[in-house]
Amino acid sequence: MKRAVLGLVIGGMVACAASSAAAPPALKPFERGSWREVLRAHAGRPTLIHFWGVTCGPCKIELPQLGKFMAEHPDIDVVTVSADLVPNLNAATQSMLDKAGLAAAENFIFNDGYVERLRFEVDPSWQGDIPRTMLVTRDGAISTIEGSAEISDLDKWSSEQGRPQ
Amino acid sequence: MTSKARLRSGLLGLAIAVFAPLTGHAQMAHQHGSDAACEGTELRCATKVTPFFAQDGKLWLAWMAGGRVSVASSTDAGKTYSASVPVSEQPLNLDWGPDARPKLVVDGKGGIAVAFSIFRDQAFNGQVLTTRSDDGGKSFAPPRPLTANNESQRFEALALDQDGTVFVAWLDKRNRAPAKAAGRSYDGAGLFFASSRDGGATYAEATLAQDNTCECCRLGVAFAGPGRPVVMFRNIFDGGVRDHAVITFSDLATPGELHRVSTDDWQIKACPHQGPSLTVAPGGTYHVAWFTSGKVRKGLFYAHSRDGGRTFSEPLAIGQADRNPTRPYLLATPEATTLVWKEFDGERTTVMVMQSRDDGETWSKPRAVASTDNASDHPLLVAHGGKVFLSWMTKADGYRLQAIGDES
Repeated sequence: MKRAVLGLVIGGMVACAASSAAAPPALKPFERGSWREVLRAHAGRPTLIHFWGVTCGPCKIELPQLGKFMAEHPDIDVVTVSADLVPNLNAATQSMLDKAGLAAAENFIFNDGYVERLRFEVDPSWQGDIPRTMLVTRDGAISTIEGSAEISDLDKWSSEQGRPQ
Repeated sequence: MTSKARLRSGLLGLAIAVFAPLTGHAQMAHQHGSDAACEGTELRCATKVTPFFAQDGKLWLAWMAGGRVSVASSTDAGKTYSASVPVSEQPLNLDWGPDARPKLVVDGKGGIAVAFSIFRDQAFNGQVLTTRSDDGGKSFAPPRPLTANNESQRFEALALDQDGTVFVAWLDKRNRAPAKAAGRSYDGAGLFFASSRDGGATYAEATLAQDNTCECCRLGVAFAGPGRPVVMFRNIFDGGVRDHAVITFSDLATPGELHRVSTDDWQIKACPHQGPSLTVAPGGTYHVAWFTSGKVRKGLFYAHSRDGGRTFSEPLAIGQADRNPTRPYLLATPEATTLVWKEFDGERTTVMVMQSRDDGETWSKPRAVASTDNASDHPLLVAHGGKVFLSWMTKADGYRLQAIGDES
């Protein structure tokens, strides 16, 4: 139990440090255990988690639409995860996020060469296809959209999330 | 055209019930996870290794490591290797996509043709480069573009015809800009092909076989007979359905009709990063394997065609569904048809094998032949002298060429 509490505290400190910084937060490494930490950190808040990659054609089209969605839905937490198997491409990833208006989102990049294990933690049936969007409700129910999301579907989902009790 | 998003439900509770390890934040330093064991250009640092047995029994490898494509050979079936030779003077921005890998074929005279993809710009547009060695792999000509068009090419596949002609197929985005300029939408990429009569030194003009195919999956290429290549690929059917198709050529310059392998109905506007495998048995049967997440079926599947790729058998599910069966590779030899694939149990990746002695009608019970607990390349198969070998690169355990026994 102590470990779990410590995890929350550290997660909270990282979140505070990120939000108080003047410059946009750097890409966070997405490693073993990161998925559970993301879910824990956003528990109780409707959260959109988007998996994408710099070489993925459909992702390039969808990313700016998500940037717009984030601007229009401040009540939804937006998390992105660059899920390509990328050696040292932080700059390209950050540049695409900046251009898409997603610099202020919580942005991760895969940081473990054993991608099978990272993907398995997120969803054992996920074979690496991107883009992929996971929508988490306040009570923790997850819906997965394989492929590019329709923004109208995201708007609808967002409107169903309501306000905290 | 709109893609219909498929919604699946899960429970957050399951995912957060377990304590989260703290290693994520403990390693905030900018150290990037890599699928390579080391940074050098030697074989043990490779992420992708492609084998080819020459007619004389010499095993050739082309691999990707340290930003280079290198080539070496072995005369003792992989126990020892010649000094490796990089095919380019300088490191290149090699295509590291999950389905990308360097390719090589070695003709009957010992000439080596190599092809590989690079990212040629910041937007990750690709370019296929080719090179050739005339001195038994001691040196390679400076790599040159496969085609003069400079839009974007990736996922080249090489195959050697009986007379030594090198056939190449690849995915090419050259038709995207003209379509957009004309106000039309453009999905995917064109399946292009060319051939080389001089062992890979120069290639004929690129020709389109099929437009609007899926742009991010490897191709399967084999010969149905002399001068008759077959290409298997993930096509984009009406409604954005990314299911598989084959095209059999009547000669090296003439693609035949497209035939659908299976109606899986995987409608997805995404990069699956999962290409098919194709082999043609000596008797002419096409054996194919592929991954899908369609409405009709999900997972890894096998089928065969006994009518030259016009119709295919009912798809046969491969592997354990709860272990992510993926990355299939098929090889037909006169003795057997062998299929390998990967499975993953949450910690360990295992290569499974099964064989058919009756041209794909019945199969042996799947058996684990190799495993690793870190990153690994796709499993591949090569054969020589009646023996079939698994070729597999792993980060933790290096490269292995492992004989596969009689599985019947």
